[in-house]
This record gives sequence, C-alpha cells and structure tokens, in this order.
Amino acid sequence: MALLDIKNIDVSYGKRATVQGCSIELDQGQICSVVGESGSGKTTVIRAVLGLLPGGGKVTSGDIVYDGKSLLTLNKRQWRALRGHDISMIFQDSGAMMNQTRLIGNSFVEYIRTHEAIPKQDAWKKGAEMLSRMRLPDPDRIMRSYPFQLSGGMRQRVGIAMGMTYRPKLLLADEPTSALDVTTQAQIVRQMMELRDEYGTSIIVVTHDIGVAAYMADKVVVMKDGRIEDQGPREYILNASTNAYTRRLIGAVPSLGGKRYV
Amino acid sequence: MSELLLEARHVTRRFPTNDGRELVACNDVNLKLYRGKTLGLVGESGCGKSTFMRFLVWLDTPTEGEIIYKGRDITKLKGRELHEMRQHIHMVFQDPATSFNPKMKIRDIVCEPLLNYGRIRRSEKNARARELLQMVELPGEFADRYPHNMSGGQRQRVAITRALALEPEIIVMDEATSALDVSVQETVIELITKLQREKNITIGFICHNLGFIQSFSHQIAVMYLGNIVEVMPGDKLSEVCCHPYSRALLNAVFDTRMDFSKKIEPIKGEPPSPLDVPAGCPFRDRCDRCMPVCREKRPTLQEIGPGHEVACHLFGRGEDA
Repeated sequence: MALLDIKNIDVSYGKRATVQGCSIELDQGQICSVVGESGSGKTTVIRAVLGLLPGGGKVTSGDIVYDGKSLLTLNKRQWRALRGHDISMIFQDSGAMMNQTRLIGNSFVEYIRTHEAIPKQDAWKKGAEMLSRMRLPDPDRIMRSYPFQLSGGMRQRVGIAMGMTYRPKLLLADEPTSALDVTTQAQIVRQMMELRDEYGTSIIVVTHDIGVAAYMADKVVVMKDGRIEDQGPREYILNASTNAYTRRLIGAVPSLGGKRYV
Repeated sequence: MSELLLEARHVTRRFPTNDGRELVACNDVNLKLYRGKTLGLVGESGCGKSTFMRFLVWLDTPTEGEIIYKGRDITKLKGRELHEMRQHIHMVFQDPATSFNPKMKIRDIVCEPLLNYGRIRRSEKNARARELLQMVELPGEFADRYPHNMSGGQRQRVAITRALALEPEIIVMDEATSALDVSVQETVIELITKLQREKNITIGFICHNLGFIQSFSHQIAVMYLGNIVEVMPGDKLSEVCCHPYSRALLNAVFDTRMDFSKKIEPIKGEPPSPLDVPAGCPFRDRCDRCMPVCREKRPTLQEIGPGHEVACHLFGRGEDA
C-alpha cells in the first residue's frame, strides 16, 4: 500500500479551482519531485497534504489518504499530533518560519515539548543532539543564536533538523534550495538524500529547478496551470516522455556543454 | 578577441564597519570587457560580484583603482561629463518588480531615459514606446499598462527595453534571469543574445549558476571573497576550468544530463566572513588540495592558456607565482 495517496483532488481558494484532478501516489522511502512554473499549483498540492492551505483554501473534492487514513476528516487535535511528527515540512527559508525575536533553541524546545512531555533541559539537549546529527558545527552556539545570525544554508539545515526530530515518515519540502547558493544547494540536496537512505523517509520536493528535481527524485510530476501534465519515473520523464510541455521544460534547462546561444 | 572596450585596473573597494574594522568587498580586481562580447561573473552570494558591477554604472565608487572607458577613468567623472557618460552604460536589475516605479506606465518607464537626454519630444513618446516594445517582442499595447499588470518575464523584457533605449555600448545585468522560470529564462536569454548580435552590445552578466552562464558568455570570471580566482573563455569552460573553487562550482551544477548515480561532492563548509579573509589563499580552508604555501602567500592571476588566467599555487610558475 502506498504511504501517501493523493486521489484526484481539487483545491479552491474562494470560487476558483486552483488545482484540478491532481493524483500522486508515494511509497515508503520514495522521493517524488513536483516541478512546474510559478503559479502552476505545485506548492498548493503539498500544502493541502499538511492541511496548511492559506487564506480559505479548501480541498473541494477527492481525498488524501496517508497510511490508510483520510487526512481531510482530521480534527485540530489529530492534526497537531500528525504535523511535525509523522509528516514534516521544510520551507523555502526556514529562518523566516521561526520567530525572529526568540532564540533558535527556544523555538526548538517549544516544538519538542508540543509533541513530548519532557523537561525543558532535556528538550534543549535533544535539540542540540539533532543539530549535531545534521552535521551542524557547534550545535550549542546555534541553539543560542537568533535566526538572522545564521547564514541561509545553516538556517535551512536547522529547519531540516527540526523537521527530522521525530523521524517523520513523510517529509514535504517546498523549494528547499531555491534561496541558496549553488554550493550550499549541493550540500542540502545531499543531506536530504541521506535522510532517505538512513531513515527511509519518503520525500516530496517541490521545485522549479529541474536539475535538482531530476537528481533527487525516483519519480517526477510535471504540473501546469493547476493540472498534472505528466508524471512517471525519472528516466521516463527525462528521456522517453512524449508530452510536448515536458519536452519544452526539459529543453529549457541550461546544461553544461549543452546548447550555446552565442 | 575583438576591440577592448572597458578595462578595470586594480579595483579595490573597502567598506568601513561599525566596529572600526574593514570589509574588503573587491580586492585588486582586473577585468576587461570586449566590444560585443559577454563577460560572465560568477560566485557565491557576498563575494563582491555585484559590488564590482555597480562601479560600472556609478552606483558606487571604488576605494582604489581605475576603470578605463573611452580613454577616461570613469570613476572620477563629475557633473556634465558624468551625465554624458551615463548614456553609454546601463543596468538591468534582478527583480524587475522592484526596479520600476509602480505608479508609472510602461510607456513612461521606457521613454524616461530618452526624454532625459532630449533624444525625443514628449509628443513622440507613444510611438517610440511601441517601437521599443516591439524590439523585445512585446505587443505595443503594453505601453499603456502598469508594471504590476505584467508577468515576471514580460517585466524583465521591459527592463531590458529601458536599458537599451539609449542604445548604450555596455549593459550590466545583475542576476537578470534568476527570478524567472526556466522556460521564461530561456526566451529572455535568446532575446538578449539576439539583441547583442544586432546591436553589438557588450554585456556584463552576474550569475551564480555556472551551467547557465556558460551557455551565453564569451568570457567567464569566477570570484571568491572579493578576489578573481579564474578567468576563462566561455566556450571551453568544462575542459579548461582548473581552479579548485571553479571546479567545485561546476560540480555543484544540477543538470538533466548528469550521471544520477554519481554522488555529489559539495565543498565543505561555508565561505568565511569577508571581514576576516584568511591570509594567503582565500580559499585555503575549503580546498582539498591546500598546500603549505597556500597558507602564506596569496596567489595572483597567472596566464596559463589563451584567454585563461588562474590564481592558484597549483598552476603557478615556480617562485614568482
């Protein structure tokens, strides 16, 4: 049975349907990347999975089944137990999701204590341990820093560390490397791949960088204007797909030793 | 190579910090721009690539060094002369949404430089705006729109139009396509290279993606912590590139044609703070081929092939390197 099964969902903000007829299936330990241009609805899909649709967004038809249970009927308490525990999310800028006026350690402790009844000191230790497991140097200093004191790559790693504290079965990543430099991007991509190898985490990566999507994913979903244009295993999408849009999108990716314009 | 158009000699920019220290954003940068060619400047954020390009458009002045254009040091220009010179060098910014006045119509945006230099009369504005928009393959009706009525790709085309309105010799593009989707990015680059061929424009392009920039640059300069570490011809990038940092940048490029089973080997750690650049080679602490000499002496750019210079002790010529 698939770990996550998005069954033919429609998502609307107000009256307009933003995403229509979207179906994605994901197995345990699989990495799926969702690619598409801005405004194609790729972020909306993964936000719907975690019930985090902004501004009155709603899943109007279809179903999202996680581990055999429908996610659409959960109440607040059930969501709370699930989010950040079984399913985690990494945002484009993990620093921006944290409270800027609080130490990273304090945010981390609060997060841990929402899911687990342990004393503050233990939660702090657990947080620092998680940071060192994500190979962040000097975890205590990071716990005592504010988000704005860290570089973009470090903040992103803190975000991943937080998301991975409870070894979620499913990790949703919304443009996790788009705001980073190429060298830092390579570090984060590698780290996310290792999560899958070590913990068997399934990952959905939303990105507009097709190079990154292709490198990470077992399967690729191509979205356009709120619909799934094409999906399949990576090799199929890259080499065999006959879909015109997919071909054009892949053709547009600058490639080393590829097309030159001058 | 074609005619030398602009030359930066020993350009250094120091910023004083609040606690009395000194941040060296550009350290002894020497670069040349040739007529009708593109110079790509690559590096991580904070390496000083934008700081350098901003000198060319007088958004900042270097602390030391000179930039020679038309036989003059343009960093020293003032008043009337500066106003005249500004016609020849223009800039396209990263985010077109924030580089336009949101209350101005596209017509006014693209014609403002023309009116500024008295090239057209107010009555000719409408016709001229349409002509200019057609040059970047946008419909003439866009002249009546506001910037927020357009998509990112269209806005970036308008930004290019504005920069080209005075028919400058040099255009500086600061990450001009980074905010765009890949398919839009492709069409914008096709447009830029087409206009470059037609009008023989020189372009200085800033980017952090080597894979992308090599597809349209004649010359590529790699910058690290304010220092140019390698300058190489754009068409043979992957063969000739040899500085360990450039190689690392090259390996960090994700590409649909790469070998997916190959493990990516990112460079260790993060660039040190530009406030305390290590002595010797600035890249020494992240380099896996670091030698004792790298800790003592800063390598200087040495020519090792046609149009190919590198600042690394691995490729130097003995003592004087």
